[in-house]
Amino acid sequence: MKQQRGKLGIREYVSIAIMMVGLKATEETPARLYNMAQNAAWMIPLLSAVFFFIPLFLLIKTMSLFKGENLFYVVQKLLGRYFGFFVCLVIFVLSSFAFSFDTRDYSNIIRAFYFNTTPLLVLFAILMTICAYGAKKGIQHIGSVSYLIIFYVIISFIVALLLSTQDSNIQALLPIWGAGKLAILKQSSQRISMFAEFFMLTMLVPYLKSNKEFRKGTWIAYFCVSIQTSVATLFFICLMDQSLGGMGYPFHTTIRYISLGSYIPNIEIFFFVIWIMGVFIRFAAFLYIIALMFGHIFKIKDFEYLIPLLATLYLLIGNMPNNPIEVAQELKPLIGTISGPVFSAIALLLWLSALLKGEFKHAKNKNSM
Amino acid sequence: MKKSFLKPLRNLFKTEPQFYEQSNQQRIHLKEQDISSHYEQNLETFKSIFSIPKNFDVKIHDFTIRALNRRAFLLYISTMVDLEQIRKNIFGPLIESNQPIREIQEIVTFPIERTSTQIGEITETITSGFTALIIDGDPQCYLFGTSKVQGRSIEKSDNEVIVRGAKEAFNEKLVDNISLIRKKIKNENLIIEAHVVSKRSRNDVLIVYEQDLVNDELLKTIKDKLESLNTDSIIDLSILEQYLEERPRSLFPTILNTERPDRAVSFIEEGHIILLMSNSPNCLVLPATFWALFHSPEDHYLRTPYGNFIRLLRFMALFISMFSSSFYIAITNYHVGMIPPDLLMAMAGTRERVPFPSIIEILMMELAFELIREAGLRVPSPIGPTIGIVGALILGQAAVQANIISPIVIIVIALSGLSSFIISDTSMNFAIRLCRFLFIFAAGFMGIYGMGALMVLGLFYLVSIKSFGVPYFAPMTPHFSSGRDLIIRPVPMNQRLRPGYLKPKDMVKQRKD
Repeated sequence: MKQQRGKLGIREYVSIAIMMVGLKATEETPARLYNMAQNAAWMIPLLSAVFFFIPLFLLIKTMSLFKGENLFYVVQKLLGRYFGFFVCLVIFVLSSFAFSFDTRDYSNIIRAFYFNTTPLLVLFAILMTICAYGAKKGIQHIGSVSYLIIFYVIISFIVALLLSTQDSNIQALLPIWGAGKLAILKQSSQRISMFAEFFMLTMLVPYLKSNKEFRKGTWIAYFCVSIQTSVATLFFICLMDQSLGGMGYPFHTTIRYISLGSYIPNIEIFFFVIWIMGVFIRFAAFLYIIALMFGHIFKIKDFEYLIPLLATLYLLIGNMPNNPIEVAQELKPLIGTISGPVFSAIALLLWLSALLKGEFKHAKNKNSM
Repeated sequence: MKKSFLKPLRNLFKTEPQFYEQSNQQRIHLKEQDISSHYEQNLETFKSIFSIPKNFDVKIHDFTIRALNRRAFLLYISTMVDLEQIRKNIFGPLIESNQPIREIQEIVTFPIERTSTQIGEITETITSGFTALIIDGDPQCYLFGTSKVQGRSIEKSDNEVIVRGAKEAFNEKLVDNISLIRKKIKNENLIIEAHVVSKRSRNDVLIVYEQDLVNDELLKTIKDKLESLNTDSIIDLSILEQYLEERPRSLFPTILNTERPDRAVSFIEEGHIILLMSNSPNCLVLPATFWALFHSPEDHYLRTPYGNFIRLLRFMALFISMFSSSFYIAITNYHVGMIPPDLLMAMAGTRERVPFPSIIEILMMELAFELIREAGLRVPSPIGPTIGIVGALILGQAAVQANIISPIVIIVIALSGLSSFIISDTSMNFAIRLCRFLFIFAAGFMGIYGMGALMVLGLFYLVSIKSFGVPYFAPMTPHFSSGRDLIIRPVPMNQRLRPGYLKPKDMVKQRKD
């Protein structure tokens, strides 16, 4: 029985986007940021957001020329059949690796903090199974679920951060410029991969009601996420100061650290449950988008059937690195440093080719007619 | 693809067994004919159709109409008609009146419902309590609506108890049920359509809706679905419910079954469609969302803050009954650090002499609780109190003293059991109780991670369920304009819109001046 495909509402889209990017504040990102800019790390998300704003803005502008078409269609339309195919393939491969290592990274977190004796493969496989099931249900349903729980995710995140202020020290923020203004600027430009998911989210344009809604939703989510990451980093710096740099996963350390008064010393489980639900949804959406890309590149219409297959493949790829350090210190930064600039370059390239081809003029003429 | 691959295999193993059936072709053919012009033949036909001497409550009166000086017979089923009426208004005048009148209508003092010539149709109407009059030399049969079936009177609602608001409930008589609805909606647009859904027992289903509200497409879907049922008999609305559901094997219900007319009416007013059936003291509301199943009429009758308070309470109860036992297992087995040290010591002390792992303990107690609950429901009322004594004493006190379970488990189970009673809808209640067991296994397998995984899996499943095309969590997600009556209800003045997922013809309940 095939269910009729509905549209993705703006609420659902925004919550997917927030889940996909916002959850980065709960992995090792804040620690990486601290290593780059010391106690001015909280400025980096904001500055990178400003930097990535330009390619994203141009990309969305270019996308709006092709009403209701996804990124890959636009790429192939503007860059030609062969070069377009190549570019699509690059995007697909990059996001595939990003997905594999991200899921592995999250499984590492679960194992390190909550299930030390469980084999990693079991945790990883459960994560993949649930994501595959969710992705198979389709993006509308992923959106619905993420909308159902987004409020709890945000509230629990805020509560965790507020509880951490019991022991935090605001003076840790000083000196305000940390490693120096120039260093911050330089590092911010390198961390634009933080928002790379927004680039991938443009695959979802056909599922939304209109380009306008997509644009609106993207900017709302973009704003929320950059503020959220920055604020989270700020709280972590206040709580942990110097030691943040040597820490694996500050969010999880924080929720283990905080307590509700002296009687209930450990409340990490409450946060963990909500966090893990967010993680499932994040990767379900991620997996769906990758399958969508794959289906588009190789012209497979019912790409939903590929999702279990792709999930298994990514499970195997993600399982290859030997230890968590390798994932968090080498592979993820590697993918990050490649994907950020590449995605921005593609966005610029698309805009330029649209400009040179005169697509903007065409659109204008069409509108005036 | 999967199906086509399995089909030959399935056909190989699944063969329809051979039945030796008796053909009733002759009878079907007879029913299609018109009544004969020969009086004796008609008499014989109906005697054979109703197996007259054998069928003791079918009465046939062979007599002469004095006014016409012709022979005639009356045919009815004595247990389904108002005998007094027949004697006084039909049979009496026909025998006694001796004025030369040609028209039957003028002789009898009871209105003729209709006339018919086809044998099959006459038979059908007689079986539903009509009286048939067949006269020698008259090509028509006169049918009188004399039906009077016995049944319960209108009583208080037993299963959906509320403190405030109307108390009356549907009963088994269709006429009573309709009048209960009619008296609440005094509007000519309220349509009550009859449908026959089964072939042998000819069970009637009434479709009730407001024609200037309901979405025609939805109405057509439901009618088509009813039309497509091909079965001999559907004796109850609850069975029809299973026929109608899109996913009859799903844990979660997609049709609301209620016995309260006020509730049914409130759904009709929003543009839903109600199904009623004779012999069923309830009605079906289509389509139904999670929220319709989760709400109780009390929420609306109470003042807004009180109504919202009990709703939040119910929301909490939903979580407690679903998660308390699995959470206990997860914490005691995987995340011991969560428990404050003093409490942990106390718990460890009481568990010290219990030989079972906590998941076995919980499962035993959950099972015991379900047993007590089911037994309490089935037991004849005079010995009802025994259940309480047995349950509380033997299973609670004695099990602890016998070191089979620890006292804290009793607290956990009692809490989850008690909370499950707060979900008033029977089907939803079952869904929650069954889910609880799934969560217990998930928690036993992977602790809180397993629970989180199952929760997300369940949510993915739930949002994909549809009830007649309406998503289960509509209008929350996907978003539709509505009265915003979801977890928290606004004051009635602000519930201006009808639910958008029904696409009603008239969207606005209260226009702003």
